[in-house]
Amino acid sequence: MKRTILSLALVLATILTFAQKKTTTSAIVNFDAATSIDALPKAENKTVIAALDTKSGGIAFEVNIKNFAFTNPRIQEHFNNAGWMDSDKYPTATFKGNITNLSAVKFYKDGTYPAEVSGDLTIHGVSQAVKTTGTIVVKGTAITANADFSVKLADYNISGAAIGAGKVSKEPKISVSAVF
Amino acid sequence: MLTTKMDTRYKKWLIALFILLLAGGTAIWWIFTEKFTDTAAVKADHTVDAMDFINEFKTDLGEANKKYTEKIIIVNGTVSEIKNADTTSNIIMTDTTSGAYIIFAFQQQHLAEAKALKMGEMVSIKGSCSGGTYSGILETQSINFKRCAVNK
Repeated sequence: MKRTILSLALVLATILTFAQKKTTTSAIVNFDAATSIDALPKAENKTVIAALDTKSGGIAFEVNIKNFAFTNPRIQEHFNNAGWMDSDKYPTATFKGNITNLSAVKFYKDGTYPAEVSGDLTIHGVSQAVKTTGTIVVKGTAITANADFSVKLADYNISGAAIGAGKVSKEPKISVSAVF
Repeated sequence: MLTTKMDTRYKKWLIALFILLLAGGTAIWWIFTEKFTDTAAVKADHTVDAMDFINEFKTDLGEANKKYTEKIIIVNGTVSEIKNADTTSNIIMTDTTSGAYIIFAFQQQHLAEAKALKMGEMVSIKGSCSGGTYSGILETQSINFKRCAVNK
């Protein structure tokens, strides 16, 4: 009897642990570095891997740089080459951090909750501590996390003639959306 | 007479310069307004079976990336997962033994085809391969595709 109860408790604990950690292979990251001179440097990546731990507030993203899809072949090539993202050398951008106001986010109750997130953002081989705000929408079993922020390309050692010439924004806008 | 000759030569140079500027401007305009061709109309560089493809990346990630990255590939396999959202549709083919997977993000004009696919369906998908990477989050390899279309 005791063994049965213990086994059931163990199984339940395992299920609950797995339920806390949620992942997706299809988060979306939009990158917009358009300027008044050039509207082309913007792209979307629809195959971003993301994880959310509803117990600890841990949040993480992995972005395959080559899967940002531009409409223009030249911009696609320039974005990935050694003068910009150098994606052969740095194939993935990552974020690893936490929701710092976790107690304000009720993952078990439908609603929209502001989320403060901080962590390490690594782009082009350079890591920077970042903070941003976003929203978490809970509806039934689905949790949607959204955030918008900007990055300074210079902070990640990304520079080049196009940036200097004003064709690419020095602080592109990034928007992230993940449905868990 | 000398003045007439100079005027004619001057006019010829002016016309040549105008044609050069027009040609240059057209080339620049074409380069920066060019869009990717519909993947359905592009000839594939390789045709592969999904599981064999995943195994190539598992065996030697570097070599597989060198061989397939930025190439147009037709992948034949079974739909393991469908991720639909308002403006996106991703199809996933998974190696169930390792969890390694291929994920296909569809071109806008082919979203309806992706949304019509069913779990377990055998399908042929054409797209631009962005290469494989190891995911620390999922602890497995993922091979990404963009600008995909169902191959007919």
